[in-house]
Amino acid sequence: MHERGYIKKTAATAASIAFLLLGWELLAVMLASPALPRPLPAFITFVREIPAGLWRHFLISSYRVVLSILLSLALALPCGMVLGREERFDRLAAPLVYLVYPVPKIVFLPVLMVLLGIGDISKIALITLVIFFQILVPIRDAARGINAGVINSVKSLGAGRWDIYKHVVWPAVLPEMLTALRVASGTAIAVLFFSETIVSQEGLGYYLLDAWSRYAYREMFAGIIAMGLLGFIIYMALDYLERRLCPWKFV
Amino acid sequence: MINLAGNKLMVNVENLSVSYRQQRKEVPALRGVSFAIPRGGTCALIGPSGCGKSTLLYVLSGLLGSFSGRVLVDDEPVQPLRRQTALILQDYGLLPWKKVFDNVGLGLDIRGINGRERTARVQRVLLEVGLWEMRDRYPSQLSGGQRQRVAIARALALEPDLLLMDEPFSSLDALTREKLQKQLLDIWQKKRMTVVLVTHSIEEAIFLGQIIIVLSEHPGRVVDIVENPRVGEPGYRKTPEFHALTTVLREKLIP
Ligand SMILES: Nc1ncnc2c1ncn2[C@@H]1O[C@H](COP(=O)(O)OP(=O)(O)OP(=O)(O)O)[C@@H](O)[C@H]1O
Ligand SMILES: [Mg+2]
Repeated sequence: MHERGYIKKTAATAASIAFLLLGWELLAVMLASPALPRPLPAFITFVREIPAGLWRHFLISSYRVVLSILLSLALALPCGMVLGREERFDRLAAPLVYLVYPVPKIVFLPVLMVLLGIGDISKIALITLVIFFQILVPIRDAARGINAGVINSVKSLGAGRWDIYKHVVWPAVLPEMLTALRVASGTAIAVLFFSETIVSQEGLGYYLLDAWSRYAYREMFAGIIAMGLLGFIIYMALDYLERRLCPWKFV
Repeated sequence: MINLAGNKLMVNVENLSVSYRQQRKEVPALRGVSFAIPRGGTCALIGPSGCGKSTLLYVLSGLLGSFSGRVLVDDEPVQPLRRQTALILQDYGLLPWKKVFDNVGLGLDIRGINGRERTARVQRVLLEVGLWEMRDRYPSQLSGGQRQRVAIARALALEPDLLLMDEPFSSLDALTREKLQKQLLDIWQKKRMTVVLVTHSIEEAIFLGQIIIVLSEHPGRVVDIVENPRVGEPGYRKTPEFHALTTVLREKLIP
């Protein structure tokens, strides 16, 4: 039963990748412009570029994105659970959250660079700042939406505050957390790209922009493929995590 | 507090009133409710929707602490987290992320009972309700009746002397409901814990409640307390007395 679901899913993934490549091919043939190379040459360049230095940019970008995701999760998860369950705190924090949430936080990059330097830390701080809210808000809402009956019946078993968090709130927000992480990982890569195009010497954003400035479109697309791959790997990792962490969703 | 027959009261409620605060207004839910249940007895609470039955159960469980009047459980003022009280709510008892076994063991986890003692107790109560084979399933993989039995098992695992149930069988089909009512009766006859059961069903109240408390429309007041000592006698459901009592209760509920 599980096995079959897995095969189905893999087939669906393969089909959607094939569909994407087909669309790309068609568009490239129609445009017939060097600005949009066809998929095969782009992939050949990608494979050639990996040993030539692309691997380093890929690793650096991966490191920045993954660390940012982990950091913002480590901050947003406890905050979200507490704000969702403890009304006193939420009353204090809610105005702040709603004021800061819509502000395009990338405008803080210059400030962060002044404060934290132009290296990894300012980039990680920027990504974390952006996706923290994207993770916090859904987790808070999920924690808040837990049925009072569930809480009461666990309380009636003698549960204290800590037991409620451990047995009810944490597992209840897990699925929302993973969904939020999927959305946030996309945002994280977009913000990463932006941050790496500004005073930067490494990372996929830099690699891409550098290729672009040299009109090396095939290399540029090799960089795009690498970014897509990064997103895909994160997505697969989250899928795997969901299977491990939320087995009750798959029965 | 022990009377001459040695019949201690398990629950003693005197002049209980509860109101909820809603948009700065006090909305009364229960008004001047008094009754008593002897230790080891069963009691059914019946009344129209919204009359405060669940509220009353919450007060008895200690979860709702703001009330006026006197509520004694086992001769002590009711307190939250009394260890021998178990509460079963209608639909929300089970945690979807825990397997049957761990749902039943949850109360034990919380009370710090683990290891072999936990396993043994969970096994015993699951066998008791006939669900040992289902121990590795998640609640979503069970039928409504099986889920309700898991909830009962979880309460029994705590070895309670006071079992509070809020419409435990109301979402089940008639056949399953009768089976579970019988099973609950069997369990009660074996263990003789005090049972308080909220129900919408007149039949269920008569089948299970040695004391039947009829509450009025919102805010709930005691309309009548009906004694029903034949609970548990074999074949009671088929006797003329049973049917006579149905009529009596129906008239009290729908005057
Ligand atoms: N948290 C709450 N805040 C405000 N009012 C409430 C709250 N809970 C219940 N009430 C009100 O108190 C009254 C009694 O509610 P309760 O849930 O005890 O009724 P009930 O007899 O259990 O009803 P039902 O048979 O429909 O379950 C109702 O009028 C309800 O609207
Ligand atoms: Mg109710």
